[in-house]
Amino acid sequence: MRQTYGKLLPGMKLSDLAGKLIVVEGTDGAGRSTQINMLRPWLEELGHAVLDTGMTRSLLAGEGIRRAKEGNNLGRVTQSLFYATDFVDRLENEMIPALRAGFIVLTDRYIYSLMARAIVRGMDAGWIRGIYSAALVPDAVFYLRLDVEQLIPRVIFSRGFDYWESGMDVFPGQDMYENFRSYQAALLAEFDRLSVEFNFETLDASADAKLVFAQLQAKVQRILDRDSKKTSFTKVYDQAAAAAGTYGGHPVTLPRETTSKQSDWAFHPVAANLFRENGRNIPEHK
Amino acid sequence: MNTGSNMRIGPFEVFYPIEESAPRLRHNGDPSLPGRLFVVEGIDGSGKSTQLSLLHKWLESKGYGVVFSQWNSSELVKDTTKLGKKKKMLTPATFSLIHATDFADRIERSILPLLKAGAVVLCDRYIYTAFARDVARGMDRQWVRDLYGFAAKPAVAFYFRVPLETAIGRLVTGRDGFKFYEAGLDIGLSDDPTESFRLFQGRIVDEYEKMIPEFGLTVVDATLPVEVQQAQVRQIVRTHLERAKELRVRP
Repeated sequence: MRQTYGKLLPGMKLSDLAGKLIVVEGTDGAGRSTQINMLRPWLEELGHAVLDTGMTRSLLAGEGIRRAKEGNNLGRVTQSLFYATDFVDRLENEMIPALRAGFIVLTDRYIYSLMARAIVRGMDAGWIRGIYSAALVPDAVFYLRLDVEQLIPRVIFSRGFDYWESGMDVFPGQDMYENFRSYQAALLAEFDRLSVEFNFETLDASADAKLVFAQLQAKVQRILDRDSKKTSFTKVYDQAAAAAGTYGGHPVTLPRETTSKQSDWAFHPVAANLFRENGRNIPEHK
Repeated sequence: MNTGSNMRIGPFEVFYPIEESAPRLRHNGDPSLPGRLFVVEGIDGSGKSTQLSLLHKWLESKGYGVVFSQWNSSELVKDTTKLGKKKKMLTPATFSLIHATDFADRIERSILPLLKAGAVVLCDRYIYTAFARDVARGMDRQWVRDLYGFAAKPAVAFYFRVPLETAIGRLVTGRDGFKFYEAGLDIGLSDDPTESFRLFQGRIVDEYEKMIPEFGLTVVDATLPVEVQQAQVRQIVRTHLERAKELRVRP
């Protein structure tokens, strides 16, 4: 059964949360949203219902946080708690209902980013952990790791320095570049600490996005395979194995009717491997 | 419950915190701040706001620099709270968190700087309101206490104790109907707003009673005449101000 990090919120039931909770973490500019934008259509094509969610997207607090960040008067405790409100609103009203309905929940950042940001801003580590003790333990945390030196070109040549991403509220002075480096380095150090404590699966985010994606696919695949229930995804896998003519060393034949598309198999790293191992071309879909 | 070691000062029974569950005021609970913080607590209809307003006027007339801060009034946060209440989007957890956010903004940008500057700060409702309401909604007692670990410790927290029926009687004549969250209609105690209000406020009173020894709240009998209560409040406040050397005076 699914667990939280220690506390249960009123009315929170952990039974029947059949879906999968997959977290993509990483500092600003590590390519989290790029990966989620590839993962989602891939999973949907395999027949999974996907909910993707992320910071400040709650109906309750998203707009309030955006407005508050426009000014220069959002304090550190207030900021930490505003984000916690946003998180819990999405946890209770989006993530848990989706998991109950069997969705795969892809979340762009989770409590770890929120804890790292709060800790870097001087909040007590025990205090912020306690607040998030009602969060669900996810099925996996994929940590897209990037050094500050690798991060800088991505930021300056895309959207430029942002006030909050540069930790202008944390570090003294007006030098955005220096503050960006200090802030992101502090975040990175905190992420590295959290990655041990919370069992992150770390991926080198400096690699080509397609390569990172292939690694993520294989890892997500393993999580889905762990599921005892036969999902549409494993059906695709079975069909691909059948089409390739072998499955676990045994000859198999393709069922007469297949519903999955060829593109599913081509995109499916394990299925594609099966074809290659058997010296077969990926079959065309009728 | 063990009400612990209390002592009497004049007409007042003073309770000292004895329970281990009292929050460690980690961040900002520095009692050496030059200002003085006084807060009033109690259920709706207990008359606490009237008492605070009278105290405010009296302190001003004595020349103190006084600032008043109300529960749920942060400019940065209150629109979000309003949205949540209007659309009935708040769960016990988000109700708790958004009020803590509001409180944090007032603490960071107003209450603490004022206390550092040596002002007298008066709060209509404080963290004990959150403890009472959130626990009445089913939140974990310790979780809520830890959540407010950044709060400044008040010099005196007055609890205006009033029988539930007296408070309800004062409210029913004063307004038309109860609001959704105010009556605790979100937690389904009863479909009837008045009955729900009664049950919900009953739970809140139970929580306040437990907090008297836990936090050393100063109990005022809110059934006494307004003038008598005010005289008691002023007497206690005066003892705290006499000891404070660095208070600001009004310009």
